[in-house]
Amino acid sequence: MSNNNLVLSMHHVGVAYRRKKGIFGDIFWALKDVSLSLHHGETLGVIGRNGAGKSTLLRLIASIIKPDKGEIIHTQGYQASLLTLQLGFVPYLTGRENAILSGMLLGLRKKEIMAKLDAIIEFSELGEFIDQPIVTYSSGMAARLGFSVAFQADPDIFLIDEVLGVGDAEFIKKSTTVMQQKIKTNKTVVFVSHNAALVNQLCDRVVWIEEGITKAEGKPKEIIAMYDDYLRNHAKTD
Amino acid sequence: MKINTFEQIMRYTDLILYKTYADLRAETERTYLGFLWWIFEPVMYMSVFFVVFSIFMGHKTDNFVPFLLVGLTIWQWMKSCLSHGSESILGYRGLMQYVSLPKVIFPIILILTDTVKFIFIFTLLLGFLWLSGFSITQSYLALPILLIVELLFTTAITLFLAAIIPFFPDLRFVVENVLTAIFFGSGIFFSVSSIPPQYHFYFYLNPMANLIEDFRNVLMYNIFPDWHSLLVIGIISILGIWFSVYLISRFEYIYPRITA
Repeated sequence: MSNNNLVLSMHHVGVAYRRKKGIFGDIFWALKDVSLSLHHGETLGVIGRNGAGKSTLLRLIASIIKPDKGEIIHTQGYQASLLTLQLGFVPYLTGRENAILSGMLLGLRKKEIMAKLDAIIEFSELGEFIDQPIVTYSSGMAARLGFSVAFQADPDIFLIDEVLGVGDAEFIKKSTTVMQQKIKTNKTVVFVSHNAALVNQLCDRVVWIEEGITKAEGKPKEIIAMYDDYLRNHAKTD
Repeated sequence: MKINTFEQIMRYTDLILYKTYADLRAETERTYLGFLWWIFEPVMYMSVFFVVFSIFMGHKTDNFVPFLLVGLTIWQWMKSCLSHGSESILGYRGLMQYVSLPKVIFPIILILTDTVKFIFIFTLLLGFLWLSGFSITQSYLALPILLIVELLFTTAITLFLAAIIPFFPDLRFVVENVLTAIFFGSGIFFSVSSIPPQYHFYFYLNPMANLIEDFRNVLMYNIFPDWHSLLVIGIISILGIWFSVYLISRFEYIYPRITA
């Protein structure tokens, strides 16, 4: 892939957290040395075990935090956002008001979210309930609305942490399907998961992170094979 | 990449206004009486002072009740903005984990929310004053300027505290107590003439004491405010806002990392 469609690149990035412990606290490196590149239109998978630093990595890409070492180069004009469900929902407001508020928190202008409102209401299947306060919603209804808003927020770079679909069985199917379709199109996506099969199916390229360090980067099949080997060996030694 | 914070605030005006509206509406939806509480609550609060000072302590003459109510209303506006707004960056830590937003918008939202409520109370106060025989005078012309200066002052300290409280959450308790101390020293219950002249200088070092006196002069005695002190407060406040906005933008990416 050529460098001119590079959306973002990371070079030896590390993130340290200060843990409160006693008086002095100690430093904990959530990410130690991560390098990767993200190109326009591709789906980059990030695999690794729990605690490998995947969520911290997504927060770096979303510009929520900055690294303590290394460098992240963002190509101007690309906005990366986490797929966040029910962000900023306020129980006493109606579904419609929450959709507008959540959409704006996710980075949309008011005009944009207003234009997408009909699509959100339709996809969420809430019908008349959209003008009811969401305290009256079942958890499934709130999940449907949350997904519909987040999906419509549609940033330049979609950052997805594990969850593709939500809600009751039927809506999980529907939401997973549209999400997978979106991932497969020319959308730039970073998909974090420990579900190797799903990563293999959805991603163009995969980065494997272990204990805060990039272990390998490359074609999904190869990387996942290495990852599986590693897991098997680890299971033995454990 | 350098981001101009004031430009950022403009970009997020829509969000700030909508979130303010949403918070206000959520507050009215939460109770049976809804927005009437914005009126009942301060009325109840002020009634306590009325009963204590006007009835028990017998301040029946010399317009003590309007004198007191002007002071309390002006004070409460600043106080509610400050106590809510100063905790806002800390309070929105959860949200910050998911989206990259300029953190300065959180205290601004809370200042706006409390200012909208203040507008109701202030209108009520004006009504009360007119019914008690005070009338609209020439000096009312200074009212917008007074309101703007108090808003600037309130914004400056609220933003400053909002910027540092995430690092020192314990400060919140200090702030509450300091506020109570200043509350008694701002001349809400007394006028400057009742304290010995050698202390006047110190009394007027407190911006709230100046503002409260100015509001009383305008609303009750048809006296224009002391422009000199207003100008000083205004300039210091603007510098304070500038500095606090700078501080907040400096820590933009640090706040989401603070784990309490």
